[in-house]
Amino acid sequence: MLNIKLNPETNIYEPETKTRHRVATALLIVVFFILPFVLAHLGRTGVYWIWVTTEIIIMSLFAMSLNLILGFGGMVSFGHAAFFGVGAYTVALLMKKAAAPLLLALAAAPLMAAVAAVIIGWFCVRLTGLYFSILTLAFSQLLYMVAFQWYTFTGGDDGLHGVPRPDFLSPTNFYLFCLVIFLICVWLMRMLVNSSFGLTIRTIRENMDRAKFIGVNVRFYQWLNFIIAGAFAGLAGGLFAQLNRFAQTEFLHWSRSAEPILASLVGGMYSLMGPTVGSAFLMCLRIVLQQAHKGLVEYWAIILGLILLVMVLFAPGGLIGLVQKIIKKKNG
Amino acid sequence: MSIEYFVFMTINGLSQGMLLFIIASGLSLVFGVLRVINFAHGSLYMIGAFLAFSISSLVSGGSLFNFLLLLLVVPPAIAILGFILEISLFRRVYRQEHLLQLLLTYALVLILDDLVRIVWGGNPRNVPRPEILAGSVDIFGLALPTYNVFIMFMGPVIALGLWWLLHRTRAGNLIRAAVTFPDTLGALGVNVSWVMTSTFMLGCWLAGLGGVLMAALANIDLGIGMEKIIESFAVVVIGGLGSIGGALLGSLIIGLGVTFFQLPLGRWALVFPYVIMALVLIWRPWGFFGKPER
Repeated sequence: MLNIKLNPETNIYEPETKTRHRVATALLIVVFFILPFVLAHLGRTGVYWIWVTTEIIIMSLFAMSLNLILGFGGMVSFGHAAFFGVGAYTVALLMKKAAAPLLLALAAAPLMAAVAAVIIGWFCVRLTGLYFSILTLAFSQLLYMVAFQWYTFTGGDDGLHGVPRPDFLSPTNFYLFCLVIFLICVWLMRMLVNSSFGLTIRTIRENMDRAKFIGVNVRFYQWLNFIIAGAFAGLAGGLFAQLNRFAQTEFLHWSRSAEPILASLVGGMYSLMGPTVGSAFLMCLRIVLQQAHKGLVEYWAIILGLILLVMVLFAPGGLIGLVQKIIKKKNG
Repeated sequence: MSIEYFVFMTINGLSQGMLLFIIASGLSLVFGVLRVINFAHGSLYMIGAFLAFSISSLVSGGSLFNFLLLLLVVPPAIAILGFILEISLFRRVYRQEHLLQLLLTYALVLILDDLVRIVWGGNPRNVPRPEILAGSVDIFGLALPTYNVFIMFMGPVIALGLWWLLHRTRAGNLIRAAVTFPDTLGALGVNVSWVMTSTFMLGCWLAGLGGVLMAALANIDLGIGMEKIIESFAVVVIGGLGSIGGALLGSLIIGLGVTFFQLPLGRWALVFPYVIMALVLIWRPWGFFGKPER
């Protein structure tokens, strides 16, 4: 799709096999499991921070799902919010109108998002480059408009409020629930990008013509990748609807599609965990600014724009790319 | 549907389409030469509209002179803003991949839209129409709003002007050469980056002109930039990126389509640009007048 030229050094995703890395990862996971219990002792601010970290986890999942097609597939989608929104509305509608249990609704969310991705993707993968981007934007805005206009089904611009939450899901439990789902998804995605499927996807990104010459069914692989990314985004959307206890048209809006792109770019789109780093960084930055000075959040969009500008001009590899570069320099 | 109603709707649709053409042709022109699709084009148009509001409230009153003043001052001001943006930012990413170019212009949308919000606030504003354009004209016994008719005629004037500029002047020759063979043009001793800057300024000038015209047509608020950039996308996708004739056709289709579908479909008519954009992209991704890219 869009021709993404890569720095050969950050080009190939190497599974971190070093023991040191494994220990660090395990420690990090343990910290994240303990975190809510520590925060719960801090009273109201603690609950607020549990909520924030839960949102970071969900938005990271969303960003990582986009990065499957953006960073690994080289397909720049401006309409990824479509699947996030479909997932959110699926959970909200099933739980509110059909009184479905949480797990059933959360299982339906990626499924419905995948169905949407099957249809939208079938059209979109026929196009390349800029045209692919514009068509994904058109489809997601189409869904946004439908949700906006269809009052009886989606509640129009009021959205769907008061999604029921099962009693056992206290903020801490919901955090843990999301964390477990997130880790499972990371594990799945990690297997995916290191499988032959993942290698094929990256081959297509690097050189579509050569991929065709060696007999790869390019469209089919891109379609499949698009559907998988859509399903993960749907799951993220479903969790987000449950976190906020509402679904609204804003979930489908183009500005929502921009968030995972920003996170991927800031974190680094050529690595699996880059989008997670980016999401967490942007979210924390926003809160830090909010704490530092209330008025600063007024200028959030400008600050975000300036960060993006600096990243595009000086560090297109993102934060992870920057760190890798520094480590490389250190080692000679 | 009575004939009067039909004519009225047509005039309305045509004036909407022509306004859209003025904006979309700038987007298309810039893409043709720079190969960058400028997301911030809608923001520049919005700044033009709000600038027109500020100046008109300074000079106060809706005389023809004031309106002409707006038309003379605002578009060049936007062009100068474009000049600054091109020199300082766009120039750095021409050789980069598409994604980074898109993200750069997207960053500009975030910054410019928010600046407009901080400077002008979220209240809807408008610019008074000059008296001579404020009333209605009688055509075939129908009272039609003069301003809409005026915009309807502005579109073809701009289209002809662009055609003349591109096909009958040396500047136009250079622009068209820069579209096809930028390297050869550079080897012939032409300063290609200056051609690019000028084209970008021309695109911004058109965005500013659209802003002034819009400010006197309807209320302006913080949403107009994003609304018009997506409509402009639809226009250039239908007509073909980089083609001025295509932009004219696309604008007419969108303008008339939205106006006429409003009757049977009501609020659903807003979906029309997206549906037609999706259809054209699937059937003929390079648009009616564009060329397939390899």
